[in-house]
Amino acid sequence: MIDKLMNTAVFKWIDDRSNIGSIIREHVTEYPTPRNLNYMWNFGSLAITVLVLQILTGIFLAMYYKPSAAMTIGGYTVAFDSVERIMRDVNFGWLIRYMHAVGASAFFVVVYMHMGRGLYYGSYKNPRELLWIIGVVILLIMQGAAFFGYLLPWGQMSFWGAVVITNLFGAIPVLGDFIGQLLVGGFAVGDPTLNRFFSLHYLFPLLLAAIVGGHIHALHVVHSNNPEGIDIDHDKETIPFHPYYTIKDAFGVCVFLLAYCYFVFYNPSAGGYFIEVDNYVPANNLQTPAHIAPVWYLTPWYTILRSFESKLLGVIMMGASLAILFVLPFLDRSKVRSARYRPVYRQMVILFFVAVLTLGYCGHASATPVLKVVGQIATAVYFGFFLLLPFVHKFEKTKPEPEGI
Amino acid sequence: MKHAWSSLVFATMIVVMPAAASASGGGAHLEEANISLDQETLRKGLEVFTDVCMGCHSAKYVTYRGLMDYPEIGLTREQVDELRGDKALLSGLLTELTPEDAAEFYGKAPPDLSVIAPGRRGGGDYIYSLLIGYDHDPKGEIEDGNYNKAFPGNRTAMPDPLAWLDHDPEETADLEEQARAVSSFLVFIGDPHQLERKAIGRWVMGFLVLLTLVLYLLKREVWKDIKKH
Repeated sequence: MIDKLMNTAVFKWIDDRSNIGSIIREHVTEYPTPRNLNYMWNFGSLAITVLVLQILTGIFLAMYYKPSAAMTIGGYTVAFDSVERIMRDVNFGWLIRYMHAVGASAFFVVVYMHMGRGLYYGSYKNPRELLWIIGVVILLIMQGAAFFGYLLPWGQMSFWGAVVITNLFGAIPVLGDFIGQLLVGGFAVGDPTLNRFFSLHYLFPLLLAAIVGGHIHALHVVHSNNPEGIDIDHDKETIPFHPYYTIKDAFGVCVFLLAYCYFVFYNPSAGGYFIEVDNYVPANNLQTPAHIAPVWYLTPWYTILRSFESKLLGVIMMGASLAILFVLPFLDRSKVRSARYRPVYRQMVILFFVAVLTLGYCGHASATPVLKVVGQIATAVYFGFFLLLPFVHKFEKTKPEPEGI
Repeated sequence: MKHAWSSLVFATMIVVMPAAASASGGGAHLEEANISLDQETLRKGLEVFTDVCMGCHSAKYVTYRGLMDYPEIGLTREQVDELRGDKALLSGLLTELTPEDAAEFYGKAPPDLSVIAPGRRGGGDYIYSLLIGYDHDPKGEIEDGNYNKAFPGNRTAMPDPLAWLDHDPEETADLEEQARAVSSFLVFIGDPHQLERKAIGRWVMGFLVLLTLVLYLLKREVWKDIKKH
């Protein structure tokens, strides 16, 4: 069908002036892909799917959403009211909003799995360092977009989450207060904050779309890693992206949509994980909720922040925990990529995954002395992984890698 | 072994998530409300809401027009006209009590009840437990009418709306039914498209199951010549 389409006069006219045909052949239909990729390699296409869903639903939500903290009757605001109007009065507004809210969590599930895949199979290593670094930039922008977006309904957790996070900037010496005020648009979280967060929440996905383009370009220069983690023969050991991976990705997207639609239609708040209970209470700057916690996808970093007595140190370590991802490719000196052939690294990376999940749990639950210690241990394991990495190759006996795939 | 780590991640999530949910829930033990969103219960709940709750509380996102338009409640135009009196059809269910008077009587303004069910841990069960949770303070510190077993901290500003405290035992079933009906009504208005959502969801999930199956078979067909690993 694609061949038929590419032989039409209209396509030829465009092709003569844009070279689109060879771009499609080089990057889609005939793009050489390792033939042994397992299902962990589906998460890239899933991430793009969710990004598109988020942008589309977001555009429609923005048609009805009103970023204003002006008070209306009953202690509510124009912003909160407009979200409830979307939920109640806009045709299928509830569907669009739940898709967007569930989509935010789905995006992080998919991207964390995608990154976990990269970690386990050594996809970040030479020659794919830049590909990994662009990916970390994408993660940071996603976290920013999620944080800005969470303020918009102007519920209790929106408000107090923003207060806690913007206050963190105050811990930075000298410039802290200035940066905090610039972000908040004044001296306290209020109407100007809501307006600039809305603006940034619309901007960040556009940046994401552009940088995802860069991520794919970088991928197509160095090509996909594979579960064996070895360099492959590009003539003999690859298969064209279409139809092999187009159909496999389509199948993966469908499986993903099953899970996604289950939550959208049957469990959109996921018991407070996707939409927190307190966010159905309108923002009130005089009443602090009993327990302020970010949404699950930010809780690992929140735990690292809380694991240090000094606020400044906590902020620095939280920043470091994300920044260290940028240098990961240069910390790992082993020539072997895949954890399948690295017994020590394999144990380390599994322990690292457990540490991240533990950090996530500790950040979500109410703080208790025991959980605080657990969080501190998990923080130590998190950083320990990166600190040990430069030395592993000195004592690790790697298993022999296969000749081909 | 190939998928050992991913299974481990999922297994941990499945174990950890419910644990985290119960840890963050906290609070007193809640009674099971047996919420039901059938028309009979919802209309009875609406009656309790307008007769009792609306003395102090509003549900500003629920309009009189909505009581006709939501098929789950489905009042006729005549019934709505009788209910609303001289209020506009598009007006929300608003209390006559002003916030100033409320502050004077109760110390604080009663919250709007439109999104009270999704906005409280335990949802409908919590509201039900609250309504039948009035008791005498065992320590004798909190006055009767302000002591509630289900309310966090036990001191509530809402005075026993269904007159549950020291009620005649013969009335228990009726009061419980009123509490159940109004809790169901509040669960319904918290997300008035929830039944429609679940009804559409069945078709969406059904379609996706079929499409997934077709794509799986297609994938297997396309891949059958590629060496297995």
